Parts: sequence; C-alpha cells; structure tokens
Amino acid sequence: MPRLDRLPQINRNNLLMLPVQVNDGGPFTPLTRPLAACRLAIVTTAGLHRRGDQPFGPGEQTYRVIPADTPPADIVQSQTSLGFDRTAIMRDLNISFPVDRLREMVAQGTLGGVAPRHYSFMGAQRDVKRIEQETGPDVGRLLREAGVEAALITPT
Amino acid sequence: MLARALETAGIATTAISMVREHSEKTKPPRALFVPFPFGHALGRPDDPGLQHRVLRAALDLLAEPAGPVLRDFPDDAEPGDQPPAPAQASGIAITSTVPDDPALETAQIRQYHEQWVARGGGRTTFGLAGVPATRFRGVVRFLQAFAAGEEADMEERPADLPLADFIRYCADDWKTLYWEGRMAMKPAAGGDEIARWFWGETAAGQVLRRVRDRLDASADARWKAAAFGVAR
Repeated sequence: MPRLDRLPQINRNNLLMLPVQVNDGGPFTPLTRPLAACRLAIVTTAGLHRRGDQPFGPGEQTYRVIPADTPPADIVQSQTSLGFDRTAIMRDLNISFPVDRLREMVAQGTLGGVAPRHYSFMGAQRDVKRIEQETGPDVGRLLREAGVEAALITPT
Repeated sequence: MLARALETAGIATTAISMVREHSEKTKPPRALFVPFPFGHALGRPDDPGLQHRVLRAALDLLAEPAGPVLRDFPDDAEPGDQPPAPAQASGIAITSTVPDDPALETAQIRQYHEQWVARGGGRTTFGLAGVPATRFRGVVRFLQAFAAGEEADMEERPADLPLADFIRYCADDWKTLYWEGRMAMKPAAGGDEIARWFWGETAAGQVLRRVRDRLDASADARWKAAAFGVAR
C-alpha cells in the first residue's frame, strides 16, 4: 500500500501532506553487466543497526554500517515512525532486509555476489539535505570502493 | 533522494516504494511500487516464495537502460488480512480491565518473551536502551516516575544521550517485550491486533500514554520529537 484510498483519512492526509521532493528526472547509472555478474548491497531506510550501535535519534541523517555476516539476532530497529506494523520484521528480518533471500540468489547463480557491508538510514524524514549532500554520497563512495555496482533500497 | 545520491556516485539503484504518490513526485531512478501494508516491504514474513518474487521484480528494473522507471508489483491483493497501517494509541479505547501494576505485568510478559527468543533461535529486536530484560523492572519504575511528573533518570543512560532519546529507547524496548511476548502467546496475532491489546488492555500501555503526554507538553523540540516516537 498501502493504496492510499484504503487508508484511514488521517493517515492518508498525513502522507499526502508530507513535503516530499518533486524531481524531474535525475542522475541515472545504467548497469552495464548482467545481475548474475554484479555485486549488490542493501541500503535500507528502516532504521536498522547492530545491537550496541548508537540508535537513531529524531531527524538523524547519518547511517549505520551492517556487515553482511551480522547474525539476524544482532540486528535491531530504532526507526522513530509508528506508522508501520513492527510484527513483520520481528518475525522475519527479510521483510525489509532480505539477506537470506540475496544469499539464496547468489547460490542459484542469479546474483553475482553480496556486498561485504550493507548500510542503513532512518526514513520518514522531512529534512534530508545532509543525506543528499554528505551521508548519501559517502555511502555511494564506500560501495564503489567495495566493488559494489548496484543497490537495493528498502523501506520499513 | 538517497537513490539520487547513490546514482551520482555511480551505483545503479532500485527501490521498493510503499507510497506510489510519493514516488511519482520524487521520481527515483528505478522503483517498484508494492501494494503491501507498511512494515511489509517484501510482502509477508516467513514467505520466501513471495519475497523472492518481489525481490526479482525490483532487481529486474536494474536492467532498464534509462529512467525514471516506476513499476507496479503485479499482485493487487494485499497479503493476509492486515490493515495498511496499525491503529494508533489515540484511536484505541482503554478497557476497564487494565491491571494496576505494570511491573508485575511486565514480569509476566517477560516469561512469554523468553519463549519468543528461544523459539526464534535467539532473535529479538529488544536492546536499544542498553538495559537488559532481566533488569527491566528498573526501567518500568523509571518510566512510571517520569509519567508521574517526577525528576527521573537512570544511571544506565549514557552522559551524552539526551534524556528524551533515552526515554524513547526505553519505551521501544518495553513495547518490544510486549509485542514479541504477545506473538509467543498468540502466534497468529497481527500488528493491529497487538496494538489494540497493548494500548487498550495493558498497564504498560497506559504508562506510555502518560509518558507521551508529558514529553509532548514540553516546549523542548527534542522532547516533542520523542513523544512522537512513543505514542500517537
């Protein structure tokens, strides 16, 4: 969804009034090789991180690094938003952070490889200037340095 | 905007979109709109088949030579019977059967939470505040005192962490004990059902309503922001 017309009016209005960016096209990096030859990272806006990392605070535009071999039992979520159903990720981390599914794709040969490190931001933000200008580009550079060509961006 | 920053750095991105109306405006380079409730980006927990289909549809967009591309996941039906978003505290009536001792209630819930952790091979999303579940009685007393308007703090709060943020992490951990404990008690319970139980029937829910009220009444923006993350 949630299809907005199926949401209660108060939720629908909150979402429609969120000051989202209006863009007209933008940067585009074509993938020059098939996925089966590429290394992919997850960049999530679900506010996930390792237990013991500093949790996300309100309006925070920094990121957390999640090494690909982090056991699911060590991953927690400090997303500020209350507008989503937390039971899904409590039951199965893959609902927003599909590490097991990606590993299965690599084993099947449909994905070349998984990045050594994934990255996590907190979504549902109004001011995203620092993500645009500093922390987002930082993550892009770190991914390139790790030989990553493609990223899957997942929400909570 | 995250996608644009990554594309500029030379990374091809594909995003899962939960709100089509937003993606139509932000125009990420490649996005798959999915018709699922918030919290269910890849469809349904413990359903690898559906998750693989969503993943495949999102990753297929990486082959697109130009963008922006916004595609709809073909399944129109929402998985399961979950509403698009769970009910919020302000929309849930408080029942007449709320227990009066949140510490005792929490001790009982913790037994179920231990079952949850054991069943899941040690997995829990508990652990933001840094106070272990075995010492959670202290957190309950702290939140009760704060809710009652007292000067409350805990020695476990790091000196550089604002009190309001610490309160929010404590509240999140408290909710996690109850949410995961409830799923051990009632494995089929959905998020909306658990939210209605927590805010309507538990002593913990009533303490957190008052914690939220005190935070929200403050003129301090940090306190107000924390209130928004505790209850709405």
